[in-house]
Amino acid sequence: MTRLALPLIAVLLVAAVLSVQVAAGGGHYVPLRPANPCTPRPVSPIPAQLEPLAEQIVLLGLDSAACQLGISRERLVLALAETRSLDPRESAALKAGLVDAVDLLDRQGRLPKVSQLLPQALDQANLPGIVKTIIEAIPDPVVDNLLPTAPLLHRTVDELDINRLLHDLNDPRQLNSGLQSAILRAALRQILDRLHP
Amino acid sequence: MSTAVTNVKMGQGPHLMGTDRSDQPASLLTARTAIVAVLSLGVAVVLGDAGVVTLALPEILRDFGAQVWGVAWVLIAFNVVLALVAVPAARLCVRGDPAVATASGVIGFAAATTVCAVAPSLGVLIAARAAQAVGGALVIVGSLELLVAATGVERAGVRRWAAAGVAGAALGPVIGGLLTSAFSWRAIFVVQIPIVLLALPAAIALRGRAVQRRRPTLDTSPDRPHLLANLALALLSAALTAALFLLVLLLVDGWTRSPAVAAVAVTAVPVAALAAGPVFRGVRAGTRSEAVAGSVLIAGGLTGLALLPGAELAWTLAPQVLIGLGLGLSVDSLTAAALRDRIPRALHGGWTIAARHAGVVVGLAILTPIFTADLRHAQTPAEEAIASLVLDAPLPASTKLDLAEQLGRRLAAERGRVPDLRPAFKTLRVPATQAPAAAALERGLEDQLKRAATRAFRTSFLVAAGLALLALGPALALRDRSRS
Repeated sequence: MTRLALPLIAVLLVAAVLSVQVAAGGGHYVPLRPANPCTPRPVSPIPAQLEPLAEQIVLLGLDSAACQLGISRERLVLALAETRSLDPRESAALKAGLVDAVDLLDRQGRLPKVSQLLPQALDQANLPGIVKTIIEAIPDPVVDNLLPTAPLLHRTVDELDINRLLHDLNDPRQLNSGLQSAILRAALRQILDRLHP
Repeated sequence: MSTAVTNVKMGQGPHLMGTDRSDQPASLLTARTAIVAVLSLGVAVVLGDAGVVTLALPEILRDFGAQVWGVAWVLIAFNVVLALVAVPAARLCVRGDPAVATASGVIGFAAATTVCAVAPSLGVLIAARAAQAVGGALVIVGSLELLVAATGVERAGVRRWAAAGVAGAALGPVIGGLLTSAFSWRAIFVVQIPIVLLALPAAIALRGRAVQRRRPTLDTSPDRPHLLANLALALLSAALTAALFLLVLLLVDGWTRSPAVAAVAVTAVPVAALAAGPVFRGVRAGTRSEAVAGSVLIAGGLTGLALLPGAELAWTLAPQVLIGLGLGLSVDSLTAAALRDRIPRALHGGWTIAARHAGVVVGLAILTPIFTADLRHAQTPAEEAIASLVLDAPLPASTKLDLAEQLGRRLAAERGRVPDLRPAFKTLRVPATQAPAAAALERGLEDQLKRAATRAFRTSFLVAAGLALLALGPALALRDRSRS
């Protein structure tokens, strides 16, 4: 029994230390695992501003694209940051993902009306003052009737040159310019379609 | 010290050996105490050298602009050569006078250490480390005979020699880390020179004493090495390498602690090793139970390091205490078992040193590729975790894009190492309202890096725990003889 005392004490000491460590989460101190991109994430309220809306659409769009491509959203983002270009399959998946994101927000009634976004858009737009004044004079119901948000965003996604945007990621001015021209082209096409159905 | 040594040289030496202490004058007891102390210190310094440069490796790497594999040889060369020359050095001691061998070893070790301190290149440093091991081997095995001669009691001498080795091996990385932080890696070698030279007059004073003492046994053929005890020592040394080498790497490279903080943090191992004797005095019941308990404690401690629940230093303390207690119980006990009733003593001391340092080399050879590969593989989950936190951070998209660009540069610049992300946040310009969110994100990213690094060391610690458990095999097969 005396000879067993020391090994028994050793076993008890080890068991005590390991129990405390495991109880404190010892086996689970690992890096955050990326969420499954195919599982919908909760969407936080979106203020009626361009940047938060664009960010939410991009985040949801990345999830949807990653789900289609069978990788995590984070892996997709890291790959985009590293290569700064997309093959046609990835580009199609990303555009489809952005469209899915717009549809999801539309179904949830989270898309702000274009009239709510217009003042900020005009503020940032590189348009002559007279044009801005004329557009501001258009009543909100007319704007929202001519440019429903979801179809406008669908067209904007169509107009986007994803590879160009990725290339300009480090240049906020170029990035904004690319986005604005895509939105402007989409708005014009939508207005023309409404006027000449 | 000089008076004491003179007394010993002037023919009072025989009274030092094998006589009742109560019959001796106080000056002789003082001389004996001083001689035992400086010889023990010499053994501790040489065996401490096996791991003393562990915390200095990053600074040596920077100083010489070398590759990681090259710098690792500063550590490996000493252990390989010590493992190879320990037995031949012991044979030299057996054939000649251990005092002469020890004195030669002290001079050789001090000379090689001087070259280490002023080494102009990595190649010279590695060659000098190999030369240090040759001199060191003579110091260690010679000191075993001299300590027995000086104490006058075989068991006491062997115990002192083993304890000095345990203390040196456990304290080496700590002292090396503190000296590197306070001065430079060269200070590690500068400090050793006068300490080890203290053993020179002690060795000279004991000239002829150890030869006299072993004369009756010279004609008998040497005993075979104690295979089980030496095998257990080799396996436990391999595991202990992980405890000290991997832990300091985790603290410095993984958790980005300074070498000084890491050195202080790992003092728990030597403190617990030195406390093992007093703590378990009441229940020590022989070599086998001590070796078994020690193996269990070391394996348990290493498993604890593999299952850390956080990156706070406090979490490493309990596993370190287990390892230290195991080290104090088992290495001491197994060394005594390997030497007990075996002649020539120096030769068997040489076998234990060869076994321990071969274990260190094998441990490094097994564990280094595992943790370097795991560290490389940890990069992907760490990057994904960072990307996830940045994407979901409550910051404007433009700030996130700016930050992502900076973080990407940091990750690319330090590929293969745990990156320091703080510069990315220092250059980030955010309005005061976003500062708390940015600070929270910085803390979150640092936490993810620490998680990834800690996870990367898990397999290595578990493999090391497996090596300690393997030592249970030979430990259980030992004959259980009481130490008292």
